Amino acid sequence: MNKLRFYFFHLMPYPHLPPTAEFPSTWVSLSNKYYDPQRGRVLYNEYIDQLAMAEKFGYDGVAVNEHHANFYGTMPSPNIIAAMLVQRTSHIPIGVIGNAIPLHGNPLRVAEEIAMLDVISGGRIISGFVRGIGCEYFNNGVTPADSVERFDEAHDLIIKAWTDDGPFTWQGDHFYIPNCNIIPRPIQQPHPPVWIPGQGSLETLQFVARHRYTYMMVFAPLWFTKMAFDGLREECRRLGYDAPKSMFNACVPTYVAETDAQAHREAKAHLSWVFNTGLKIPDQLFFPPGYMSTKSFRNFVGLLQKGKVKPQTQLSYDELLKDRYIIVGSPETVKEQLSEYCDGVGAGGVLSVGSSFGPMPHWMVQKNMQIFAEEVMPAFREADGKPDYLRAPPPSPTSHAEFAARYGRPPEVARSLVTGGGDKLVEHRVAHLPEVIDRTMGDAWEERPASAG
Amino acid sequence: MSYIDVIDKVEVPKPPRYYTPPAFETVAGLPIAYRRAGQGEAVVLLHGAGFTRMWIPFYQMMAERCDFIAPEQPGFGETPLPKWFRGFDDLTLLYDQLFDQLGLERIHLVGFSMGGWAAAEFASFYPKRLKSLALITPVGLRLKDDPGVDLFQLAPAEIMDRLFKDKAVMKEFLPDPDNFDEGIHLYSEFAAAARLMWAPRYNLALERRLARVQCPTLVVGAEEDRLVPNAMSDRYAEVLPRAKLTRLAGTGHEPLLERPRELADALLGLIEEAK
Repeated sequence: MNKLRFYFFHLMPYPHLPPTAEFPSTWVSLSNKYYDPQRGRVLYNEYIDQLAMAEKFGYDGVAVNEHHANFYGTMPSPNIIAAMLVQRTSHIPIGVIGNAIPLHGNPLRVAEEIAMLDVISGGRIISGFVRGIGCEYFNNGVTPADSVERFDEAHDLIIKAWTDDGPFTWQGDHFYIPNCNIIPRPIQQPHPPVWIPGQGSLETLQFVARHRYTYMMVFAPLWFTKMAFDGLREECRRLGYDAPKSMFNACVPTYVAETDAQAHREAKAHLSWVFNTGLKIPDQLFFPPGYMSTKSFRNFVGLLQKGKVKPQTQLSYDELLKDRYIIVGSPETVKEQLSEYCDGVGAGGVLSVGSSFGPMPHWMVQKNMQIFAEEVMPAFREADGKPDYLRAPPPSPTSHAEFAARYGRPPEVARSLVTGGGDKLVEHRVAHLPEVIDRTMGDAWEERPASAG
Repeated sequence: MSYIDVIDKVEVPKPPRYYTPPAFETVAGLPIAYRRAGQGEAVVLLHGAGFTRMWIPFYQMMAERCDFIAPEQPGFGETPLPKWFRGFDDLTLLYDQLFDQLGLERIHLVGFSMGGWAAAEFASFYPKRLKSLALITPVGLRLKDDPGVDLFQLAPAEIMDRLFKDKAVMKEFLPDPDNFDEGIHLYSEFAAAARLMWAPRYNLALERRLARVQCPTLVVGAEEDRLVPNAMSDRYAEVLPRAKLTRLAGTGHEPLLERPRELADALLGLIEEAK
C-alpha cells in the first residue's frame, strides 16, 4: 500500500467578477448576471478535461462537490459532472464529496443517482455526504435549524435504501417516503465508500467514528487538522478499534513548480483567490441561525476571538503557507511538507494536491499536474508507482468476455408473455428465432401486405 | 405534547440595563419565562425577535395602566427551546395553555414584529379569547411586490441600523458587542426564530383565517420602518375585519423602544374601546 493517496479535486469556480472589494459576498447575493454562459462553457469543458486527465497522470482519484448560488464552485449538481467523468475515464475512483443531503426534498434522489453512477462506472464511486455550507440555506426552503437532523435522517435513509431489499416505508421525523425501492442498487457492497467532509466539530468526528467512514478535513491549518485527526482516533479507540490511515483525508491545495520561487510566482494570485475572493462570505451567511448548535457556535467563536483561527477571506498568502493551509514550492519542498500531513498528522490521503485553483489557466493546471505526478507522487508510492486501486482487482469485469465468464447467464433470464402468443413464455435471448417468434405471430403475420416487409 | 429535551441548555446572560428576573410558568413541561405587573385589563404582549429579558420603559408605561404580561417564547430570553418546537401552531397551543394557567380568560393581545405574526396566528385559532388585537409592525403575510429585507442576511450592525430611526435610542438598547455570551445568546434566539420564520416568511392561510377575528383590532405601522415594508401593515388591515390602521411618525421598526408613550396611548385607546 502507498504511503499517501492523491486526489485531484475540482471546485469549478467562475472567476470573471468585478473587483472583490466591490461586493460583500461571492455567495448568495452576488448576481448571476456576472455569469456568462459562453465563458462558462469553455471553463466547464477545461475543468472536465483536467479531471479526466488526472487518471493518466496517476492520481488515486478525482473529486467534485456541490455548491449553490456562488462563483467559488459552480457545481450545483455534482452528480452530473461525475456522470461525465464516468464516461471520460476507465478505472479511476470518482468522488462526489459530497451531495448536500439535507437540502433536498427526497434523499432517495441522491441514493438513486449515486447508485446509477456506481453501476455505470463499475463500482468506482466514492459517496460524500455534506450538510452544505451555511450559505446554501439562503436559496433553499430548508431551515438551517433543521440541517443537522435532516442530515442524519437523510443519511440513514440513503444507507438503508442501498443496503436493504425494497420496498420499505420510511417514516422519519423529516421525510416520509413509502415504497423506498431504488433501482438500480449500487455495485459496491454493502454500499459505495462514504466520505464525510468536516470542519473538526466533535459531532462530526463521532459520526465518522461510529460508521467507520473516511473523514475529510476541509481547508484548515495543519495544527487544526492534527487536532481533528487526534480527536477522531480517540473516538475510534473509545469504540474499540484503531482507526486505519485510510480514514484520514486532508484537503491541502498544493502547487508545485521547478523551484520554490517559480512556484510562488505562478500560484500566489490563484490560491489567494480561492480564500480571499472565492470564500468571501460574511459571517451571517456562513453561520445562518441554527446551522450550528449553540454549543458548537460558542466553541467556534471562542477560537475566532482568541485569534486562533481567522476568517479565510482575511488570510494572507504568507499565513496560508505558514499554517499549511496550502503547500507551494519545488518538488523537494512539496514532498517535505506533504510528509507533515502524511507522517506528522497521519493523513492517508490528500485532496486538492496538484489540482486547479481559482482562476488558474488551463495550461498552468496541467503543468502543476505533470510535475506533481512525476516528481512528487513517486516519493509516496511503492516501487511500481501505481495508485493503490490499480493493484487491487477491478471492482467489475472490464470486458464482456470477463463478465460472461464470471457471471454467466442471469438467474432470471428475460422471458415474457407476448400478448396474442398464448400462455407460453418467450425467452428473449432467442426470441427472434423463427421457431420461437413465429408461433406468437398468429394470423396477423400471414395477413400483412408484402409491402410492409 | 411533552417536554422531552431542550436544545443547548446554556446560561442566559443578563442585559446590562432594564433586566428583571422573570417568573416561570411550566406549560407542557416547558418553563415559560414571563414578566407581569399592573392592574386592570389583562394585556399580553408577544415580543419580536430580540430585546428579550428586559422590562423596557414601554412595558412599565403599560403596567401603570393595565395588567401587563410579557411572556418569552421558546428559545427567547429565558424560555428554553425544546426540540419538538417547530411552528406557530406549537406556539399558539403553548400560549393558550399558558393563559389558562395564569388565570387569564379573555385578553387584549398585542404582538410586535415576529410576535405580531404569532398574535395573528393565535387570533385566527382562538378569536373568541380576544377582547382586542393589536399588531405592531407585524410580519407574516405575503407581499408579492416587495418581500422586504431578509433579516437573516443582515450583519448585526446592519440590523440595528435598520431597526431604529433614532440612533440615540439604538445606542441605549444596543447589545454590548464585547459581551461574548450575549453574542452567543442572540445567535440562539435567531435559531429559534429560524424555526418559525425561515421559510416561508408568510402563512397564506392567515389571509383567510383572520376573517374569523371579530374583536376591535389596531394595526400599527411605522413611517420610517426600514426592515418591514409598510405594505405589510396595510395588508393586515385589509384582511382583518375590524382593523384600524395607524402609522406612527418618527419611528423605525421599533416603536416600542422609539415611541413608547405614543404607542402606549394608542394601545390603551383600543383597550378602552374594547373592554
